[in-house]
Amino acid sequence: MRFMVFVRSSGPLAALHGDELLRAGVLLDAGDFVPDSCGISGFWLIDVRDHEEAVERMKRIALPACVVEIRQVAVV
Amino acid sequence: MGATSVHRTIDAVWRMESAKVIAALARYTRDVGLAEEMAQDALVAALEQWPVDGVPRNPGAWLMTTAKRRSIDQIRRRENLNRKVEEIGREVQEVTPDASEGIDDEIGDDLLSLMFTACHPVLGTEARVALTLKMLGGLKTEEIARAFLVSDATVAQRIVRAKKALADAGVPFEVPEGPELATRLASVLEVIYLIFNEGYSATQGDDWLRPELCAEALRLGRVLAELAPKEAEVHGLVALMEIQASRTKARTGPNGEPVLLLEQDRGRWDWLLIGRGLKALERAEALNQPPGPYYVQAALAACHGRARRAEDTDWQRIATLYQVLASISPSPIVELNRAVALSMAFGPAAGLALVDEIAGEKALQGYHLLPSVRGDFLVKLGRTAEAKAEFEKAATLTRNERERTLLLGRAAAC
Repeated sequence: MRFMVFVRSSGPLAALHGDELLRAGVLLDAGDFVPDSCGISGFWLIDVRDHEEAVERMKRIALPACVVEIRQVAVV
Repeated sequence: MGATSVHRTIDAVWRMESAKVIAALARYTRDVGLAEEMAQDALVAALEQWPVDGVPRNPGAWLMTTAKRRSIDQIRRRENLNRKVEEIGREVQEVTPDASEGIDDEIGDDLLSLMFTACHPVLGTEARVALTLKMLGGLKTEEIARAFLVSDATVAQRIVRAKKALADAGVPFEVPEGPELATRLASVLEVIYLIFNEGYSATQGDDWLRPELCAEALRLGRVLAELAPKEAEVHGLVALMEIQASRTKARTGPNGEPVLLLEQDRGRWDWLLIGRGLKALERAEALNQPPGPYYVQAALAACHGRARRAEDTDWQRIATLYQVLASISPSPIVELNRAVALSMAFGPAAGLALVDEIAGEKALQGYHLLPSVRGDFLVKLGRTAEAKAEFEKAATLTRNERERTLLLGRAAAC
């Protein structure tokens, strides 16, 4: 299953480091969004077996104060 | 958090952490079998405690510490192993349930050692596959059994025997070096690709695809590519699997029937995976190593992956690449594929000539694709009566129900 993980922060957010996801073989894509009035954000696209694994993987990544949103992506 | 939710979390944590726990324990105990048993004991402890006490803040470290304590208990029961007890005892003092950083520092080498051990050539193919899925994929015995359509007991027995064989052979828990590395790496790649292929073209049963096996093989391949980034063949294998996996959705029709490559709706290909495959291929090429079989097969898959329409396929390049592949790993099956490429590049007569040359090869007797391919060429040459007989012969040889239906359909259409 694919999940898009959005990370949003009102303050400075260092470029998203997905090394742990890369080493685990689950990272498909990553990117930073252009900063806007809502703050700074980026995303990871990950391929894991289920939602629980997506949540557990995110818990293991050290992030500054931010909002993390995990959404399943349909593969058409 | 309800009990069911906790169990789902435990399942996820186990899949993520079990390989690291087993690998780290194997480094201390130098016994993969014992390491796997102790990790399983830790899982049982988690299943007992976490629903009551809650999931710990660092579940991976909790599993590791628990497994190490179990290892100590186990080893203490064995005579003449006091030295190991002291060593592991010291390690337990250093790893508390809240300190996971130390685990990941050396885990790369440990995981690599575990891959090389689980895929050791001393084991038979089925044992290597079962052990890899169990110890590196974190799959349960019943999940492996389901994937390979065998009983739980069969898989359990394979795993027990494999661990015993490793112990009997005194296989060291290490990353091989020097000339041995190439042979051992080839064995690891073979196992990963076998898992992928079993998922991609299921050899038995009613289903053409078993996506969970493909996904697991891809994940293992990607992990290996990060652990061994200087090995071109590893990137070649990853590229091959990414590109092949990109066609998963297009390979079956609405009723589950297989759809041949050139008839697939390329709009249903997963272009994200194709892009990843092409990047992996570039990584392999950048290493400037002599082309290996996985690299060449990936380059072949890339020829299709780059063509947005079937008619844009560069068949001459494909025929050349098959010639390269035949020089690296000569096989009648490679020649059969080359025949297909030749027919596409230069017409069905060119393909048929090569097929007739290799038809007597022992390895192709009983291989359903030989009559299937020959039938295809004969149809294109207008020799339909002969083609019909070939498709019917192919249908009797395949073990896949979906494929048999497809072949009988082609025979009926002649």
